[in-house]
Amino acid sequence: MQQRSGRVAEVGNPVVEVERIVTRFGAQTVHDGISFALARGTLTALIGASGTGKSVLLREIIGLVRPDGGRIRVLGTDMWSAPATAVAAVRRRFGMMFQDGALFSSLSVAQNVAVPLIEHTRTPAELLAPLVALRLAQAGLAPAVGAKLPSELSGGMRKRAAIARALALEPEVLFLDEPTSGLDPATARAFDALLRSLVDDLGITVLLVTHDLDTLLTVVDRVIVLAEGAVRADGSVTEVMRTDDAWIRAYFAIRTMAADAVRAR
Amino acid sequence: MPGDPQTSPAPGRRLELAATAEGQVLTLYGDWRLHDIESLWQALSAIGPTAALAIRAGELTGFDSAGALLLLRALERAGVPAAQVRWLDFAPEHARILDGVRRRYAELAAAATDLGAARAGMSPLATLGRHTVEVGALLHGHLGFFGAALAALAEAFMHPRRLRVKELAAQFEQVCLKAIPVVALVTLLIGVTIAYLLGLQAEKYGANIFVVDGVAIGMTREFGPIIVATIVAGRSGAAFTAQLGSMRLAEEIDAIRTLGLSPLQVLVVPRVLALTVALPLLVFVGDALGIFGAMLVADPLLGLTPATFLERLRDALDLKHFWIGLAKAPVFALFIAVIGCRMGMTVERDTRAVGLATTSTVVQSIVSVILLDAGFAVLFQELGL
Repeated sequence: MQQRSGRVAEVGNPVVEVERIVTRFGAQTVHDGISFALARGTLTALIGASGTGKSVLLREIIGLVRPDGGRIRVLGTDMWSAPATAVAAVRRRFGMMFQDGALFSSLSVAQNVAVPLIEHTRTPAELLAPLVALRLAQAGLAPAVGAKLPSELSGGMRKRAAIARALALEPEVLFLDEPTSGLDPATARAFDALLRSLVDDLGITVLLVTHDLDTLLTVVDRVIVLAEGAVRADGSVTEVMRTDDAWIRAYFAIRTMAADAVRAR
Repeated sequence: MPGDPQTSPAPGRRLELAATAEGQVLTLYGDWRLHDIESLWQALSAIGPTAALAIRAGELTGFDSAGALLLLRALERAGVPAAQVRWLDFAPEHARILDGVRRRYAELAAAATDLGAARAGMSPLATLGRHTVEVGALLHGHLGFFGAALAALAEAFMHPRRLRVKELAAQFEQVCLKAIPVVALVTLLIGVTIAYLLGLQAEKYGANIFVVDGVAIGMTREFGPIIVATIVAGRSGAAFTAQLGSMRLAEEIDAIRTLGLSPLQVLVVPRVLALTVALPLLVFVGDALGIFGAMLVADPLLGLTPATFLERLRDALDLKHFWIGLAKAPVFALFIAVIGCRMGMTVERDTRAVGLATTSTVVQSIVSVILLDAGFAVLFQELGL
């Protein structure tokens, strides 16, 4: 009951709030006052040149790296000042997909997906296997893949398996670090469709770090551009594309240049 | 009352089963999500086999795919075909979740293999057979690698310019200089212990002075080489496997090969050479510290002053024992280094394999050192040394 009223109250409140984040590595300031908030049920991409601290910001949001200043709240809980039990409770309500999957190499894919279910829920034994198969299916994998070891999977399948594990506890928020990097274009586009369906069908809020222009142009609701330690642009793809900024123009120009080059042949 | 679906449920009530004229009606209440899966599963055992079942979800406040799966699984358990169930009053977002799971349900239920034994178990006999074959393949592979490593060493001697001097120096520092403290500490303590134990016996016969003979011969001929080789196997052999194994995972070894270089020449030769030179030196350190340790306790325990001890040492210790001990060291080193390198370079494609290979290296190295030592003991006996 308490859970239910808590959920109702949260609708409308931002799912992730990042306030004036400051990060320094030695003398170098990576983030200098970054703020944004994510609304429930949206698909947001974090972009920026290499070295602008996108992955670091993601790690700060999920509570792995401590920022030097500012506040981060996920589902209303401050990741860096709330008691450990509250943070642990929030961790069960979001999922994270690391860049190379970070699957446990000694466990099969199905066992990887079962880990959070076994640790954090009391799923009856006869429901565990179908539930694992359901998570694999939600990530676009056939049940038979569950018996394989992570080392036996291709890059795209490993990423899907990682998503299946991140989805295990029906998270309200999903964080992804470069979900389409290293994938062939066809697989990458299928991945985009998968992300969109997670948002539309399961109502999950998604934040991803990406370099993939096609992901931005096709499935993303909102783009946040990091540059020189600050948010350089924030809005829908079309709004961001219109921003008068050298890096953003160069970034989106690649697409038009490629199209021109093909036409010129 | 059971017939009236409008009745509000008791607090904490998750479902209500009622019999009506058109068959059974199952009404769902509250939150049907993963975190409650166990209690919901138990509550659903109330469903019995029935031809006509309607499920009403008008009171449902939360529903996720685990909830949908649970419901479908419970229907299957009760023997109710999902196709004949009437689904009533599902909110659009709940209906979408339910449909998503229903579409795939047959496939999911078929996947109900048990998770514990993703790798099928084998009978003890089959396991024994498999391990035997594996050990055979391992030794066969070692033999081939040993030959290749020797050929690469020979090549390095024929063409000294191909020898990686920097890498050799770095390896030598790692396996020799940095190993001196631990070797010194362990052999010192072993020397103390042997002198103490021998002393207890020798004192009974008034043969205190012969403790020097025992420690000097034992330490230089057997204990020194064995103990130092064991330390080095655990320290450097394991390090070789872990380093080369991680390099293989990071495709660095493939990169070396692609650049037209030989991994044997770049990685293996410096390690083998460094360890072969280092081990005799470490054995020398070990011999000296072991005898020194014995000397430390000889004075208070046996009344042998350092001067007496050293005088007896000069008479008792035939240098052949020292040389025999030292001569065994490079052979031990060769085996430790070759096993360490080969186990690293043949690591399979995941991090778990690096751990397994490292463990295996230490076990194989220590066992081969002991076997070699036994072989040497017989050999020197036959030679009358």
